[in-house]
Formats: sequence, C-alpha cells, structure tokens
Amino acid sequence: MKFLLFRLWNYLRGYVIIIIEGFFIEKFINICARRRIHLWDVRIQRERRVTAKVGIGGFRLIRPVARKTGCRVRLLKKRGLPFVFSKYRRRKAFFAGAVLFFVLINVLASFVWSIEITGNEKLDTVFLENALAANGIKTGALKYRIDTRRAVDRMMLEIGRLSWISINIKGTKVKVQVRERKDIPEIVPRHIPCDIVAQKDGIIRQVIAKEGIEAVAEGDTVKKGQVLISGRVPVKGDEKYRLVHALGTVRARTWYEDEAPVMFTRTETLRTGRVIRDHSLVLFSKELDLVRRKVGFSEYVTDEVRKKLTIGDDLVFPFEWVTVNYYEVATMEAHISEEDARETAAREAYEKALGRVPEEAEIVKENVYFTEQDGKLTARAVLECIENIGIPSRIGGN
Amino acid sequence: MEKSNADTKDSKKRAGSGNSAVIKSVRERFTEMLELPKDLVLDRPKLTMIGNRDLMIENYKSVLEYDAGILRINTGSGMIRITGSDLSIREITSEDIVISGMVRSVEFVDAG
Repeated sequence: MKFLLFRLWNYLRGYVIIIIEGFFIEKFINICARRRIHLWDVRIQRERRVTAKVGIGGFRLIRPVARKTGCRVRLLKKRGLPFVFSKYRRRKAFFAGAVLFFVLINVLASFVWSIEITGNEKLDTVFLENALAANGIKTGALKYRIDTRRAVDRMMLEIGRLSWISINIKGTKVKVQVRERKDIPEIVPRHIPCDIVAQKDGIIRQVIAKEGIEAVAEGDTVKKGQVLISGRVPVKGDEKYRLVHALGTVRARTWYEDEAPVMFTRTETLRTGRVIRDHSLVLFSKELDLVRRKVGFSEYVTDEVRKKLTIGDDLVFPFEWVTVNYYEVATMEAHISEEDARETAAREAYEKALGRVPEEAEIVKENVYFTEQDGKLTARAVLECIENIGIPSRIGGN
Repeated sequence: MEKSNADTKDSKKRAGSGNSAVIKSVRERFTEMLELPKDLVLDRPKLTMIGNRDLMIENYKSVLEYDAGILRINTGSGMIRITGSDLSIREITSEDIVISGMVRSVEFVDAG
C-alpha cells in the first residue's frame, strides 16, 4: 500500500528514468543521497552501468554530481503527469472542453433529477410526490436548498397515514422510504362495558371468555353482528345485570369462496413480428421528437423503453432516451382442451378466493368443484378457515 | 558524582586502549538506563528484513560498493556486506536505503 501510494505520488509529480555509466557509481549514489536528490529503483544493467529513477526537481541537480564523479548520465524516458500535460499544453480547445465537462457535471449534479419512493402500499405514489413537491423536493430543485429534516417533519405532520419516513439525497437522486400505519380496529376502552360480537358469519368452534358470559356454544351458527360473549352478567337472585367489559376469543369456521368460468376458447394476441420504433429525447422535462412515423398497423400494442443517463446508480442526469415500440398484432382464437380449461378456471377461482382470506385466518380445507348452468361450466373454490371472529362492541352504543 | 567520575575515567581508558568492543561507553549506558532508542542516540543502523527479498537499513552512512551480487554499506556499526543476486536499490535517501532482490547473507564485516 505504501509503495502504491509512493508510485502514484511519483507519477503525479513526474520523473525520469536515467542511465548512469562510470567507475564511481557508488560515489554518485552517495552524493545524490547527501544532496537530497531522491533516487529510486536503482538497478544494475551491466558492469558499471545502472538505471535509476529520479524526480524532475532532482534531475536538474544531477548534472553537477555527474561531473564531480565522472559519470555519464543519459535520459532514457520521461514519465508522469507533468509530461502528459506539457504534451497537451497547446491544445486549448481540449483543455476548455475538459474544464467545461467538469463544470457541467458539477452543475448538473447539484440538482435533483429523480425521486424514488419505496415502501408505500396504500398511499399513492403521485400523492406522495405532490406532498414532497410542496416541501420543495421535486425534480429540478437545487439540492442545497432542500432541507430534508424539515421536509420529514412536515410530511409526518401532514400525512396521518405515515408512521415513518426517511428522505435521503444521494447523487442527483432523492430516496424516500416510507412506512404506513396499519389500520387498527376501533378499540373499546377497558373501563367501558362491551360485548364481543361476530365480525362475520360462521360456525363456532371454540369460545373462550375471559370476562363476560358466553352467549353461544360450539357448533352454533352465527350471523354477522350477533353477540358471542355478552357483557351483561346476570346477578343471582336479581333482575338486574352487571355490565362488564367482555374479553375473550371466539374461533369459528368461516368459508370464503369465489368462482371463475371455464373457457374453452382463448383469444390470443400474437405479435406478427413487424415493428415500428419511435425515438425521442427528453431534456430536463421537454420531450424532443426525433422521428415520428405513421403507424400503419390496424392492431398494435406499444411499449416504451426509457433510458436515463446515469453515472453509477445515484447520479442521474436529466437526459432521457425514449424508444416507443409499436408491435403489430394479430388476434387469434385458440381452442383449449377441456382438461386444461378446467384446470385454468380452478386455479383462477382458487386464487380469487385466497385473496379474500384475511391474514390471520388458518385455512383448514380447500375445495374446488364445477357447476353447470345454461350450458356454462363454472369452477367454484371454497376455502374453509378457522379464525377469531370476535370484535368488541359497546353495549347500547354502535 | 563519584560514579559519573569513574565512568568518564573508564571511557578515557577505553579510548586510549582501543578496547571498545568490550567496554560500554557512557553514552551507551546512559541510553540503556533511560531506554532511549539506540539507533537514534548511538547512530546505529536499524535493519528490517522481510523474508529474504526486502531489506531496509535505516541510519546508514554510505554505499561503498554496489553490484548485482554484492552490496557493501557503511554504517555506525561498521560495514555491512550483503550478498545475493539481482540486488537493486529500491529507494535511497540520506538516512534510509531499501534493497530488494534475493538476499543470501547479511554480514557485519568489522563490527565496532
């Protein structure tokens, strides 16, 4: 490592490789060392002849030493940045270009050119972008003007759903990470009496009442809204009730189902292979069309490929190359065997039903069957689950 | 007081007789007593060797002979003879010399 740095330093400073010939090479080396002429990589080339490297400053001082010791010094090679520069010294346009390049890179790198929002589930990305823009974070904004801390505070205050947000500026990119608050069910405060009622229909499997009176038993069919654990506890030998805050879990069998038609034909759009490409260049936010051709296809699908000019991952520049592809397509009807069609429909129905099952429910049985009506075959998927269906509800209230 | 007197006498005697290898000088005793670095105070060379390829001699005096197979270097502890093959001086300043190549032997020729 030390020598690597040493070599880099020498390259930056510039050095020359010299050949020293003579009978008193040792003397030459000693005098150089004493006069602080730094020599390195001294190698014997052959009898009474060595090569060595010496800095540009040292080389100027070497002539008197050579004369004193009777050695002949020849310059073999020039190495290093100063020599490279002196070669290009006359090429002014080249230098102007190099300087302009660095200036431009620096100017462009001091703006925000892209915003990346991650972590949002229910919050709309556009909504978040607008909220960020209101706090000064938008594409084209000067990086140094952005106060990320203030923006974080403001966003947290303004958007209730946010539980956490972080805003980082990396290169020309603003990275925004958000976490959303989970919807929490209405909680009845502990001191207010309540019942446990059914959240949905189902057949009771298990009732565990920690507080209150069980209003249903195992095997009962319950409807949504029905009281499962009552907060009215009868007082013995009295008509009155004592009101408590009912607590407990009620596990019940619930069913989720969905259906999908069995399709024996499928319309497929196939690309014919003919394609027209349109290119355009986006500078800052202005789109410049380079070629715009007429698309002569009767049916086509399009896609867009956007290439941003970036250096690494985070330094994004406001230049974008957009290619729009128009693919000609032909529609075709494909016949599917009954087996395949049934399978596809069954899978579709199953997926749809699965989407309805809440996260905490445990699936105990899965069933897919087919029904025929008016000559149409339909797949039905039924998922039997066990879950806690009890939620607290105020007595007498809503 | 007495002791330091004796010491000076001692060193004088040493200088006279030339029996310097056996009797330690005042300076040497002094540096040992205070645990000072000997290479700096006594002008002794400090040799650092990495395997048999790199040899660094700090605090050398001068290069006496230089060839691909032999290097003789004058130091405060006398002459050091280094033999080997393909020896080159990687760096040389007024205090340090870094030698690289295949080193076969490092010898103190007339240690003082």
